[in-house]
Amino acid sequence: MVFRPIYAVLERELLRMVRQRTRLVAAMVRPLIWLLVIGGGFAAIAGADYKSFLVPGVLGMTMLFGAMLAALGTVYDKESGVMRMMLVAPLPRAWMVAAKLIAAAVAAAVQALLLLVLLALLGYAGRGTDWALLAAGIAATSFACAGIGMLTASFSRTLENFAGIMNFVIFPVFFLSGSLYPVRELPPVLYWAATLNPYTYGVDLLKHALLAGRTGADFSVASDLAVLAAATVASAAVASWRFSRESAYEPMIHVPAGRSR
Amino acid sequence: MNAPHAAGVTTSAAVSARGLAKRYGGLAAVDGLDLEIAPGEFFGLLGPNGSGKTTTMHMLATLVRPSAGTACVAGFDVARAPVQVRASIGLVFQESALDRTLTVAQNLRFAGLLHDLPPRVIEERSRELLELFDLTERRDQPVAALSGGMRRALDIVRGVLHQPRCLLLDEPTIGLDLPNRRRIWRFIERLRARTGMTVLLTTHYLEEADGCDRVVFIRKGRLVESGAPRELVAGLGRHILEVEGADLDALVTALEPKLGDALREGDVAHFRCAEEDLALLARLQTEVGGKASAWRVRRPNLNDVFLWVAAGKRVA
Repeated sequence: MVFRPIYAVLERELLRMVRQRTRLVAAMVRPLIWLLVIGGGFAAIAGADYKSFLVPGVLGMTMLFGAMLAALGTVYDKESGVMRMMLVAPLPRAWMVAAKLIAAAVAAAVQALLLLVLLALLGYAGRGTDWALLAAGIAATSFACAGIGMLTASFSRTLENFAGIMNFVIFPVFFLSGSLYPVRELPPVLYWAATLNPYTYGVDLLKHALLAGRTGADFSVASDLAVLAAATVASAAVASWRFSRESAYEPMIHVPAGRSR
Repeated sequence: MNAPHAAGVTTSAAVSARGLAKRYGGLAAVDGLDLEIAPGEFFGLLGPNGSGKTTTMHMLATLVRPSAGTACVAGFDVARAPVQVRASIGLVFQESALDRTLTVAQNLRFAGLLHDLPPRVIEERSRELLELFDLTERRDQPVAALSGGMRRALDIVRGVLHQPRCLLLDEPTIGLDLPNRRRIWRFIERLRARTGMTVLLTTHYLEEADGCDRVVFIRKGRLVESGAPRELVAGLGRHILEVEGADLDALVTALEPKLGDALREGDVAHFRCAEEDLALLARLQTEVGGKASAWRVRRPNLNDVFLWVAAGKRVA
Protein backbone atom coordinates (compact mmCIF):
# COMPACT_ATOMS: atom_id res chain seq x y z
CA MET A 1 0.00 0.00 0.00
CA VAL A 2 1.14 3.51 -0.72
CA PHE A 3 -1.05 5.36 1.76
CA ARG A 4 1.20 5.13 4.82
CA PRO A 5 4.42 6.06 2.99
CA ILE A 6 2.70 9.11 1.50
CA TYR A 7 1.39 10.02 4.93
CA ALA A 8 4.92 9.61 6.35
CA VAL A 9 6.31 12.14 3.88
CA LEU A 10 3.39 14.51 4.51
CA GLU A 11 3.70 14.27 8.30
CA ARG A 12 7.42 15.01 8.14
CA GLU A 13 6.78 18.01 5.87
CA LEU A 14 4.24 19.49 8.27
CA LEU A 15 6.53 18.81 11.25
CA ARG A 16 9.28 20.69 9.43
CA MET A 17 6.94 23.56 8.60
CA VAL A 18 5.85 23.98 12.21
CA ARG A 19 9.40 23.67 13.51
CA GLN A 20 10.91 26.18 11.08
CA ARG A 21 8.92 28.98 12.59
CA THR A 22 10.79 31.81 10.87
CA ARG A 23 9.93 30.26 7.51
CA LEU A 24 6.27 30.17 8.49
CA VAL A 25 6.32 33.76 9.77
CA ALA A 26 8.06 34.88 6.56
CA ALA A 27 5.37 33.10 4.56
CA MET A 28 2.79 35.32 6.30
CA VAL A 29 4.75 38.57 6.38
CA ARG A 30 5.98 38.51 2.76
CA PRO A 31 2.52 38.68 1.14
CA LEU A 32 1.32 41.22 3.69
CA ILE A 33 4.26 43.50 2.82
CA TRP A 34 3.32 43.24 -0.84
CA LEU A 35 -0.30 43.91 -0.12
CA LEU A 36 0.05 46.72 2.42
CA VAL A 37 3.30 48.41 1.36
CA ILE A 38 3.59 47.88 -2.38
CA GLY A 39 -0.16 47.71 -2.87
CA GLY A 40 -0.57 50.80 -0.72
CA GLY A 41 2.03 52.66 -2.77
CA PHE A 42 0.66 51.70 -6.16
CA ALA A 43 -2.87 52.48 -5.05
CA ALA A 44 -1.78 56.12 -5.33
CA ILE A 45 -1.42 55.64 -9.11
CA ALA A 46 -3.77 52.80 -9.90
CA GLY A 47 -6.61 53.74 -7.62
CA ALA A 48 -7.80 52.47 -4.26
CA ASP A 49 -9.15 49.26 -5.79
CA TYR A 50 -5.61 48.12 -6.53
CA LYS A 51 -5.17 46.64 -3.06
CA SER A 52 -8.14 44.34 -3.43
CA PHE A 53 -6.93 43.45 -6.93
CA LEU A 54 -3.67 42.36 -5.29
CA VAL A 55 -5.30 39.98 -2.76
CA PRO A 56 -5.46 36.90 -5.08
CA GLY A 57 -1.88 37.59 -6.15
CA VAL A 58 -0.48 37.62 -2.62
CA LEU A 59 -2.50 34.55 -1.67
CA GLY A 60 -1.00 32.80 -4.69
CA MET A 61 2.45 34.04 -3.70
CA THR A 62 2.20 32.23 -0.37
CA MET A 63 1.44 28.98 -2.17
CA LEU A 64 4.17 29.54 -4.75
CA PHE A 65 6.85 30.14 -2.11
CA GLY A 66 5.46 27.54 0.30
CA ALA A 67 5.27 24.78 -2.31
CA MET A 68 8.62 25.67 -3.88
CA LEU A 69 10.45 25.64 -0.54
CA ALA A 70 8.82 22.37 0.50
CA ALA A 71 9.54 20.70 -2.85
CA LEU A 72 13.11 21.97 -2.83
CA GLY A 73 13.39 20.19 0.53
CA THR A 74 13.87 17.14 -1.69
CA VAL A 75 17.26 18.57 -2.65
CA TYR A 76 18.03 19.02 1.05
CA ASP A 77 16.96 15.40 1.62
CA LYS A 78 19.40 14.33 -1.07
CA GLU A 79 22.23 16.34 0.44
CA SER A 80 21.58 15.40 4.06
CA GLY A 81 21.07 11.72 3.28
CA VAL A 82 17.46 11.46 4.48
CA MET A 83 16.57 10.53 0.91
CA ARG A 84 18.29 7.21 1.60
CA MET A 85 15.44 6.27 3.91
CA MET A 86 12.98 6.92 1.09
CA LEU A 87 15.10 5.07 -1.46
CA VAL A 88 15.10 1.85 0.54
CA ALA A 89 11.36 2.01 1.16
CA PRO A 90 9.38 -0.66 -0.70
CA LEU A 91 7.65 1.88 -2.89
CA PRO A 92 7.94 2.49 -6.62
CA ARG A 93 10.05 5.60 -7.31
CA ALA A 94 7.15 7.42 -8.97
CA TRP A 95 5.19 7.24 -5.72
CA MET A 96 8.02 8.84 -3.83
CA VAL A 97 7.83 11.83 -6.18
CA ALA A 98 4.04 11.83 -5.80
CA ALA A 99 4.38 11.74 -2.00
CA LYS A 100 6.75 14.70 -2.00
CA LEU A 101 4.46 16.59 -4.38
CA ILE A 102 1.39 15.96 -2.23
CA ALA A 103 3.28 16.97 0.91
CA ALA A 104 4.49 20.21 -0.72
CA ALA A 105 0.98 20.99 -1.97
CA VAL A 106 -0.60 20.39 1.45
CA ALA A 107 2.08 22.52 3.15
CA ALA A 108 1.36 25.31 0.64
CA ALA A 109 -2.41 25.03 1.09
CA VAL A 110 -2.10 25.15 4.90
CA GLN A 111 -0.04 28.36 4.61
CA ALA A 112 -2.61 29.82 2.21
CA LEU A 113 -5.40 29.07 4.69
CA LEU A 114 -3.45 30.71 7.51
CA LEU A 115 -2.91 33.79 5.35
CA LEU A 116 -6.58 33.76 4.41
CA VAL A 117 -7.48 34.04 8.09
CA LEU A 118 -5.13 37.03 8.43
CA LEU A 119 -6.57 38.62 5.28
CA ALA A 120 -10.11 38.14 6.56
CA LEU A 121 -9.16 39.71 9.91
CA LEU A 122 -7.67 42.68 8.03
CA GLY A 123 -10.83 42.97 5.97
CA TYR A 124 -9.33 41.94 2.64
CA ALA A 125 -11.31 38.74 2.21
CA GLY A 126 -14.83 37.77 3.09
CA ARG A 127 -17.47 39.76 1.31
CA GLY A 128 -18.27 38.51 -2.17
CA THR A 129 -16.01 35.48 -1.90
CA ASP A 130 -17.02 32.27 -3.68
CA TRP A 131 -15.77 29.90 -0.97
CA ALA A 132 -16.19 26.66 -2.94
CA LEU A 133 -14.30 28.11 -5.88
CA LEU A 134 -11.67 29.49 -3.49
CA ALA A 135 -11.15 26.02 -2.01
CA ALA A 136 -10.76 24.58 -5.50
CA GLY A 137 -8.43 27.43 -6.44
CA ILE A 138 -6.20 26.93 -3.39
CA ALA A 139 -6.06 23.16 -3.99
CA ALA A 140 -5.34 23.41 -7.73
CA THR A 141 -2.81 26.24 -7.34
CA SER A 142 -1.00 24.46 -4.49
CA PHE A 143 -0.64 21.32 -6.58
CA ALA A 144 0.53 23.21 -9.67
CA CYS A 145 3.11 25.12 -7.57
CA ALA A 146 4.25 21.85 -5.97
CA GLY A 147 4.60 20.43 -9.47
CA ILE A 148 6.78 23.37 -10.54
CA GLY A 149 8.77 22.85 -7.33
CA MET A 150 9.31 19.11 -7.91
CA LEU A 151 10.30 19.79 -11.49
CA THR A 152 12.86 22.35 -10.29
CA ALA A 153 14.08 19.99 -7.55
CA SER A 154 14.55 17.20 -10.06
CA PHE A 155 16.94 19.43 -12.01
CA SER A 156 18.84 20.78 -8.97
CA ARG A 157 21.88 18.92 -7.73
CA THR A 158 22.64 21.02 -4.71
CA LEU A 159 20.96 23.67 -2.62
CA GLU A 160 23.81 26.03 -3.45
CA ASN A 161 22.02 27.18 -6.57
CA PHE A 162 19.03 28.26 -4.49
CA ALA A 163 19.70 31.92 -5.35
CA GLY A 164 19.61 30.91 -9.00
CA ILE A 165 16.30 29.16 -8.48
CA MET A 166 14.89 32.31 -6.86
CA ASN A 167 16.05 34.45 -9.76
CA PHE A 168 15.25 32.17 -12.64
CA VAL A 169 12.21 30.26 -11.42
CA ILE A 170 10.29 31.82 -8.53
CA PHE A 171 10.57 35.48 -9.56
CA PRO A 172 9.74 34.99 -13.27
CA VAL A 173 6.84 32.70 -12.39
CA PHE A 174 5.52 35.32 -9.99
CA PHE A 175 6.08 38.44 -12.10
CA LEU A 176 4.98 36.82 -15.38
CA SER A 177 1.54 36.07 -13.98
CA GLY A 178 -1.50 38.20 -13.39
CA SER A 179 -0.53 38.71 -9.75
CA LEU A 180 0.31 42.40 -10.03
CA TYR A 181 -1.52 43.43 -13.21
CA PRO A 182 -4.28 42.14 -15.51
CA VAL A 183 -2.69 39.77 -18.03
CA ARG A 184 -4.69 41.03 -21.00
CA GLU A 185 -3.26 44.53 -20.62
CA LEU A 186 0.36 43.34 -20.85
CA PRO A 187 2.47 44.08 -23.97
CA PRO A 188 2.39 41.14 -26.48
CA VAL A 189 5.67 39.43 -25.48
CA LEU A 190 4.86 39.54 -21.78
CA TYR A 191 1.29 38.52 -22.54
CA TRP A 192 2.43 35.36 -24.29
CA ALA A 193 4.94 34.60 -21.57
CA ALA A 194 2.19 34.93 -18.99
CA THR A 195 -0.20 32.65 -20.87
CA LEU A 196 2.54 29.98 -21.01
CA ASN A 197 3.02 30.20 -17.23
CA PRO A 198 0.72 27.71 -15.47
CA TYR A 199 0.85 29.79 -12.29
CA THR A 200 -1.00 32.56 -14.16
CA TYR A 201 -4.07 30.34 -14.24
CA GLY A 202 -3.84 29.69 -10.50
CA VAL A 203 -3.91 33.40 -9.75
CA ASP A 204 -6.70 33.79 -12.30
CA LEU A 205 -8.77 31.14 -10.51
CA LEU A 206 -8.20 32.91 -7.19
CA LYS A 207 -9.37 36.16 -8.84
CA HIS A 208 -12.57 34.41 -9.92
CA ALA A 209 -13.12 33.28 -6.34
CA LEU A 210 -12.10 36.44 -4.49
CA LEU A 211 -13.05 39.20 -6.95
CA ALA A 212 -16.30 37.64 -8.17
CA GLY A 213 -18.19 40.01 -10.41
CA ARG A 214 -15.40 42.57 -10.39
CA THR A 215 -12.76 43.09 -13.04
CA GLY A 216 -9.59 41.09 -12.90
CA ALA A 217 -9.92 37.55 -14.20
CA ASP A 218 -8.56 36.94 -17.70
CA PHE A 219 -9.56 33.34 -18.43
CA SER A 220 -12.51 31.07 -17.76
CA VAL A 221 -12.73 28.92 -14.61
CA ALA A 222 -12.78 25.78 -16.74
CA SER A 223 -9.61 26.65 -18.65
CA ASP A 224 -7.88 27.65 -15.39
CA LEU A 225 -8.67 24.27 -13.82
CA ALA A 226 -7.70 22.37 -16.97
CA VAL A 227 -4.33 24.13 -17.32
CA LEU A 228 -3.50 23.69 -13.61
CA ALA A 229 -4.39 19.98 -13.70
CA ALA A 230 -2.40 19.43 -16.89
CA ALA A 231 0.60 21.35 -15.51
CA THR A 232 0.55 19.30 -12.29
CA VAL A 233 0.39 15.97 -14.11
CA ALA A 234 3.02 16.96 -16.68
CA SER A 235 5.52 18.28 -14.15
CA ALA A 236 4.97 15.24 -11.90
CA ALA A 237 5.61 12.95 -14.86
CA VAL A 238 8.84 14.72 -15.84
CA ALA A 239 10.01 14.86 -12.21
CA SER A 240 9.27 11.13 -11.78
CA TRP A 241 11.25 10.36 -14.87
CA ARG A 242 14.15 12.49 -13.66
CA PHE A 243 14.09 10.85 -10.22
CA SER A 244 13.83 7.34 -11.65
CA ARG A 245 17.32 7.61 -13.10
CA GLU A 246 19.90 6.44 -10.63
CA SER A 247 22.19 9.37 -11.41
CA ALA A 248 19.57 11.46 -9.61
CA TYR A 249 20.81 10.02 -6.33
CA GLU A 250 24.46 10.74 -6.82
CA PRO A 251 26.45 11.44 -4.82
CA MET A 252 24.41 9.88 -2.04
CA ILE A 253 24.22 6.44 -3.44
CA HIS A 254 27.33 5.69 -5.18
CA VAL A 255 30.75 7.02 -5.96
CA PRO A 256 32.32 4.91 -8.70
CA ALA A 257 35.83 3.73 -7.90
CA GLY A 258 38.54 6.07 -9.05
CA ARG A 259 36.55 9.19 -8.31
CA SER A 260 37.34 11.05 -5.14
CA ARG A 261 34.63 11.27 -2.57
CA MET B 1 25.64 -21.85 8.46
CA ASN B 2 25.41 -22.92 12.06
CA ALA B 3 23.25 -19.85 12.62
CA PRO B 4 19.57 -20.45 13.27
CA HIS B 5 17.31 -20.13 10.27
CA ALA B 6 14.73 -17.38 10.26
CA ALA B 7 11.18 -18.56 10.70
CA GLY B 8 9.16 -18.71 7.53
CA VAL B 9 12.15 -18.45 5.25
CA THR B 10 12.38 -20.96 2.46
CA THR B 11 15.44 -23.11 2.17
CA SER B 12 16.49 -21.46 -1.09
CA ALA B 13 19.35 -18.97 -1.02
CA ALA B 14 18.85 -15.65 0.75
CA VAL B 15 21.05 -13.96 -1.81
CA SER B 16 22.26 -15.34 -5.10
CA ALA B 17 24.05 -13.51 -7.87
CA ARG B 18 25.23 -14.78 -11.25
CA GLY B 19 27.69 -12.84 -13.35
CA LEU B 20 26.67 -9.61 -11.65
CA ALA B 21 28.38 -6.62 -13.25
CA LYS B 22 28.25 -2.85 -13.17
CA ARG B 23 30.13 -0.63 -15.57
CA TYR B 24 30.51 3.12 -15.34
CA GLY B 25 31.67 4.18 -18.76
CA GLY B 26 34.78 2.09 -19.43
CA LEU B 27 35.25 1.27 -15.76
CA ALA B 28 34.02 -2.07 -14.43
CA ALA B 29 33.12 -1.45 -10.78
CA VAL B 30 31.81 -5.00 -10.46
CA ASP B 31 32.91 -7.52 -13.04
CA GLY B 32 31.02 -10.80 -13.15
CA LEU B 33 30.42 -11.63 -9.50
CA ASP B 34 28.85 -14.93 -8.37
CA LEU B 35 27.48 -15.14 -4.83
CA GLU B 36 25.39 -17.66 -2.95
CA ILE B 37 24.35 -16.82 0.60
CA ALA B 38 22.23 -19.22 2.66
CA PRO B 39 19.36 -18.03 4.86
CA GLY B 40 20.61 -17.12 8.32
CA GLU B 41 24.19 -16.96 7.19
CA PHE B 42 26.54 -14.25 8.47
CA PHE B 43 28.42 -13.33 5.34
CA GLY B 44 31.30 -10.91 4.83
CA LEU B 45 32.14 -9.13 1.60
CA LEU B 46 35.73 -7.99 1.92
CA GLY B 47 38.18 -6.22 -0.33
CA PRO B 48 40.26 -3.08 -0.75
CA ASN B 49 38.80 0.37 -1.40
CA GLY B 50 37.22 0.61 -4.81
CA SER B 51 36.98 -3.16 -5.21
CA GLY B 52 33.23 -2.97 -5.80
CA LYS B 53 31.82 -3.93 -2.39
CA THR B 54 29.48 -0.98 -2.06
CA THR B 55 28.35 -1.18 -5.68
CA THR B 56 27.52 -4.86 -5.10
CA MET B 57 25.50 -3.97 -2.00
CA HIS B 58 23.63 -1.27 -3.89
CA MET B 59 22.83 -3.61 -6.77
CA LEU B 60 21.48 -6.18 -4.29
CA ALA B 61 19.43 -3.42 -2.67
CA THR B 62 17.99 -2.35 -6.08
CA LEU B 63 19.48 1.15 -5.82
CA VAL B 64 21.84 0.61 -8.74
CA ARG B 65 20.86 -1.30 -11.86
CA PRO B 66 23.24 -4.10 -12.87
CA SER B 67 24.85 -3.70 -16.32
CA ALA B 68 24.88 -7.46 -16.71
CA GLY B 69 24.06 -10.60 -14.77
CA THR B 70 21.24 -11.35 -12.37
CA ALA B 71 20.71 -11.24 -8.65
CA CYS B 72 17.96 -12.58 -6.43
CA VAL B 73 17.41 -11.45 -2.87
CA ALA B 74 14.93 -13.31 -0.64
CA GLY B 75 13.70 -15.04 -3.78
CA PHE B 76 12.99 -11.85 -5.74
CA ASP B 77 14.86 -10.66 -8.80
CA VAL B 78 16.46 -7.24 -8.20
CA ALA B 79 15.70 -6.04 -11.73
CA ARG B 80 12.16 -7.40 -12.05
CA ALA B 81 10.79 -7.08 -8.54
CA PRO B 82 12.72 -4.22 -6.90
CA VAL B 83 9.85 -3.24 -4.60
CA GLN B 84 9.55 -6.77 -3.17
CA VAL B 85 13.32 -6.94 -2.74
CA ARG B 86 13.29 -3.65 -0.84
CA ALA B 87 10.46 -4.96 1.34
CA SER B 88 12.54 -8.02 2.29
CA ILE B 89 15.83 -6.32 3.09
CA GLY B 90 17.17 -3.80 5.53
CA LEU B 91 20.01 -1.62 4.30
CA VAL B 92 22.37 0.37 6.47
CA PHE B 93 24.45 2.72 4.35
CA GLN B 94 28.01 3.81 5.00
CA GLU B 95 26.65 7.28 5.68
CA SER B 96 23.73 8.13 7.89
CA ALA B 97 20.22 7.94 6.49
CA LEU B 98 18.65 9.73 9.45
CA ASP B 99 17.00 13.14 9.68
CA ARG B 100 19.19 14.97 12.18
CA THR B 101 16.49 17.50 12.96
CA LEU B 102 13.92 14.90 14.01
CA THR B 103 13.99 12.99 17.29
CA VAL B 104 14.93 9.33 17.56
CA ALA B 105 11.27 8.32 17.82
CA GLN B 106 10.24 10.58 14.93
CA ASN B 107 12.93 9.08 12.71
CA LEU B 108 11.74 5.56 13.47
CA ARG B 109 8.13 6.56 12.90
CA PHE B 110 9.07 8.03 9.51
CA ALA B 111 11.04 4.91 8.53
CA GLY B 112 8.29 2.59 9.79
CA LEU B 113 5.50 4.40 7.95
CA LEU B 114 7.61 4.34 4.78
CA HIS B 115 7.62 0.57 5.20
CA ASP B 116 3.83 0.57 5.61
CA LEU B 117 3.92 -0.43 9.29
CA PRO B 118 0.94 0.56 11.44
CA PRO B 119 1.84 3.22 14.06
CA ARG B 120 1.11 0.80 16.92
CA VAL B 121 3.56 -1.76 15.53
CA ILE B 122 6.19 0.97 15.05
CA GLU B 123 5.74 1.98 18.70
CA GLU B 124 6.14 -1.57 19.96
CA ARG B 125 9.13 -2.50 17.85
CA SER B 126 10.84 0.84 18.48
CA ARG B 127 10.57 0.23 22.21
CA GLU B 128 12.03 -3.28 21.90
CA LEU B 129 14.81 -2.32 19.53
CA LEU B 130 15.81 0.85 21.38
CA GLU B 131 16.06 -1.33 24.50
CA LEU B 132 18.20 -3.86 22.61
CA PHE B 133 20.46 -1.08 21.33
CA ASP B 134 20.68 0.82 24.66
CA LEU B 135 18.93 3.87 23.22
CA THR B 136 15.76 3.90 25.31
CA GLU B 137 16.71 7.10 27.15
CA ARG B 138 17.41 8.91 23.89
CA ARG B 139 13.95 8.29 22.47
CA ASP B 140 12.84 11.92 22.45
CA GLN B 141 16.18 13.56 21.70
CA PRO B 142 16.97 14.96 18.26
CA VAL B 143 19.38 12.80 16.29
CA ALA B 144 21.79 15.75 16.10
CA ALA B 145 22.32 15.39 19.87
CA LEU B 146 23.43 11.74 19.60
CA SER B 147 27.05 10.58 19.47
CA GLY B 148 28.40 8.95 16.31
CA GLY B 149 28.12 5.49 17.84
CA MET B 150 24.53 6.01 18.94
CA ARG B 151 23.61 7.40 15.55
CA ARG B 152 25.02 4.34 13.86
CA ALA B 153 23.13 2.10 16.28
CA LEU B 154 19.94 4.03 15.51
CA ASP B 155 20.60 3.66 11.79
CA ILE B 156 20.69 -0.11 12.29
CA VAL B 157 17.47 0.00 14.31
CA ARG B 158 16.00 1.98 11.41
CA GLY B 159 17.18 -0.73 9.02
CA VAL B 160 15.59 -3.64 10.92
CA LEU B 161 12.36 -2.02 12.10
CA HIS B 162 10.37 -3.79 9.39
CA GLN B 163 11.93 -7.16 10.31
CA PRO B 164 13.74 -7.81 7.05
CA ARG B 165 14.82 -11.34 6.21
CA CYS B 166 18.16 -10.07 5.04
CA LEU B 167 20.19 -7.23 6.53
CA LEU B 168 22.81 -5.51 4.38
CA LEU B 169 25.40 -3.61 6.39
CA ASP B 170 27.80 -1.46 4.39
CA GLU B 171 30.78 -0.70 6.64
CA PRO B 172 28.61 -0.55 9.77
CA THR B 173 31.47 0.48 12.06
CA ILE B 174 33.37 2.88 9.79
CA GLY B 175 34.53 6.01 11.55
CA LEU B 176 33.75 4.71 15.03
CA ASP B 177 36.22 4.25 17.87
CA LEU B 178 37.00 0.80 19.24
CA PRO B 179 34.50 0.72 22.16
CA ASN B 180 31.72 1.88 19.84
CA ARG B 181 32.69 -0.64 17.18
CA ARG B 182 32.50 -3.40 19.80
CA ARG B 183 29.12 -2.12 20.96
CA ILE B 184 27.78 -2.18 17.41
CA TRP B 185 28.96 -5.77 17.03
CA ARG B 186 27.32 -6.78 20.29
CA PHE B 187 24.07 -5.27 18.98
CA ILE B 188 24.35 -7.13 15.70
CA GLU B 189 25.07 -10.36 17.58
CA ARG B 190 21.99 -9.84 19.77
CA LEU B 191 19.92 -9.14 16.70
CA ARG B 192 21.12 -12.27 14.90
CA ALA B 193 20.57 -14.40 17.97
CA ARG B 194 17.05 -13.09 18.30
CA THR B 195 15.88 -13.02 14.67
CA GLY B 196 18.18 -15.39 12.80
CA MET B 197 18.23 -12.97 9.91
CA THR B 198 20.76 -13.26 7.12
CA VAL B 199 23.44 -10.61 7.49
CA LEU B 200 25.58 -9.48 4.58
CA LEU B 201 28.36 -7.20 5.64
CA THR B 202 31.21 -5.24 4.15
CA THR B 203 34.00 -4.05 6.39
CA HIS B 204 37.57 -2.83 6.42
CA TYR B 205 38.14 -3.97 9.97
CA LEU B 206 39.10 -7.54 9.23
CA GLU B 207 39.05 -8.76 12.81
CA GLU B 208 35.34 -7.98 12.71
CA ALA B 209 34.85 -10.42 9.87
CA ASP B 210 36.37 -13.23 11.95
CA GLY B 211 32.91 -13.94 13.33
CA CYS B 212 31.42 -14.44 9.86
CA ASP B 213 30.31 -17.90 8.78
CA ARG B 214 31.85 -17.20 5.41
CA VAL B 215 33.69 -14.37 3.70
CA VAL B 216 34.57 -13.55 0.12
CA PHE B 217 37.37 -11.27 -0.96
CA ILE B 218 36.78 -9.21 -4.05
CA ARG B 219 39.33 -7.27 -5.97
CA LYS B 220 38.65 -5.06 -8.99
CA GLY B 221 35.05 -6.25 -9.01
CA ARG B 222 35.95 -9.94 -9.13
CA LEU B 223 35.74 -12.65 -6.53
CA VAL B 224 39.26 -13.84 -5.69
CA GLU B 225 38.87 -15.93 -2.53
CA SER B 226 36.03 -17.34 -0.53
CA GLY B 227 35.63 -19.57 2.47
CA ALA B 228 35.28 -19.66 6.22
CA PRO B 229 37.66 -17.14 7.82
CA ARG B 230 39.49 -19.91 9.71
CA GLU B 231 40.01 -21.93 6.51
CA LEU B 232 41.27 -18.92 4.58
CA VAL B 233 43.72 -18.05 7.33
CA ALA B 234 44.85 -21.69 7.50
CA GLY B 235 45.24 -21.71 3.72
CA LEU B 236 47.67 -18.82 3.98
CA GLY B 237 50.10 -20.86 6.09
CA ARG B 238 50.94 -21.78 9.65
CA HIS B 239 53.16 -18.79 10.27
CA ILE B 240 53.94 -15.39 8.88
CA LEU B 241 57.54 -14.19 8.97
CA GLU B 242 57.94 -10.43 9.06
CA VAL B 243 61.37 -9.07 8.26
CA GLU B 244 62.63 -5.50 8.43
CA GLY B 245 66.09 -4.25 7.62
CA ALA B 246 68.19 -1.42 6.20
CA ASP B 247 68.76 -3.36 2.97
CA LEU B 248 65.37 -5.02 2.60
CA ASP B 249 65.94 -5.82 -1.08
CA ALA B 250 68.97 -7.94 -0.25
CA LEU B 251 67.08 -9.72 2.53
CA VAL B 252 64.17 -10.48 0.22
CA THR B 253 66.52 -11.73 -2.50
CA ALA B 254 68.19 -14.03 0.01
CA LEU B 255 64.94 -15.37 1.48
CA GLU B 256 62.65 -15.69 -1.53
CA PRO B 257 64.34 -18.79 -3.03
CA LYS B 258 63.77 -20.60 0.30
CA LEU B 259 60.39 -19.25 1.41
CA GLY B 260 58.61 -18.27 -1.79
CA ASP B 261 57.21 -14.89 -2.85
CA ALA B 262 57.42 -12.08 -0.35
CA LEU B 263 54.75 -9.47 0.20
CA ARG B 264 56.30 -6.04 0.60
CA GLU B 265 54.39 -3.61 2.75
CA GLY B 266 56.36 -0.43 3.26
CA ASP B 267 59.50 -1.28 5.21
CA VAL B 268 58.34 -4.80 6.04
CA ALA B 269 58.55 -7.99 3.98
CA HIS B 270 56.07 -10.79 4.76
CA PHE B 271 56.69 -14.47 4.02
CA ARG B 272 54.24 -17.35 4.34
CA CYS B 273 55.60 -20.40 6.11
CA ALA B 274 54.23 -23.89 6.62
CA GLU B 275 54.52 -25.79 9.93
CA GLU B 276 57.52 -27.79 8.72
CA ASP B 277 59.32 -24.54 7.85
CA LEU B 278 60.04 -23.78 11.53
CA ALA B 279 63.43 -25.50 11.51
CA LEU B 280 64.25 -23.75 8.23
CA LEU B 281 63.27 -20.43 9.78
CA ALA B 282 65.60 -20.98 12.74
CA ARG B 283 68.46 -21.75 10.35
CA LEU B 284 67.67 -18.77 8.12
CA GLN B 285 67.59 -16.48 11.13
CA THR B 286 71.18 -17.41 12.04
CA GLU B 287 72.31 -17.14 8.41
CA VAL B 288 70.65 -13.90 7.23
CA GLY B 289 68.81 -12.70 10.35
CA GLY B 290 71.88 -10.71 11.37
CA LYS B 291 71.24 -8.28 8.54
CA ALA B 292 67.65 -7.76 9.64
CA SER B 293 66.68 -5.12 12.16
CA ALA B 294 63.51 -7.05 13.01
CA TRP B 295 62.61 -10.73 12.59
CA ARG B 296 59.17 -11.78 13.77
CA VAL B 297 57.37 -15.09 13.39
CA ARG B 298 53.66 -15.01 14.22
CA ARG B 299 50.32 -16.61 13.46
CA PRO B 300 48.50 -15.32 10.36
CA ASN B 301 45.08 -13.71 10.63
CA LEU B 302 42.40 -12.42 8.29
CA ASN B 303 44.32 -9.16 7.86
CA ASP B 304 47.11 -11.15 6.23
CA VAL B 305 44.65 -12.80 3.87
CA PHE B 306 43.39 -9.31 3.03
CA LEU B 307 46.91 -8.00 2.37
CA TRP B 308 47.85 -10.92 0.14
CA VAL B 309 44.56 -10.68 -1.74
CA ALA B 310 44.85 -6.92 -2.08
CA ALA B 311 48.35 -7.38 -3.50
CA GLY B 312 46.84 -9.63 -6.15
CA LYS B 313 48.46 -12.85 -4.91
CA ARG B 314 46.77 -16.23 -4.67
CA VAL B 315 46.21 -17.31 -1.11
CA ALA B 316 45.10 -20.92 -1.11
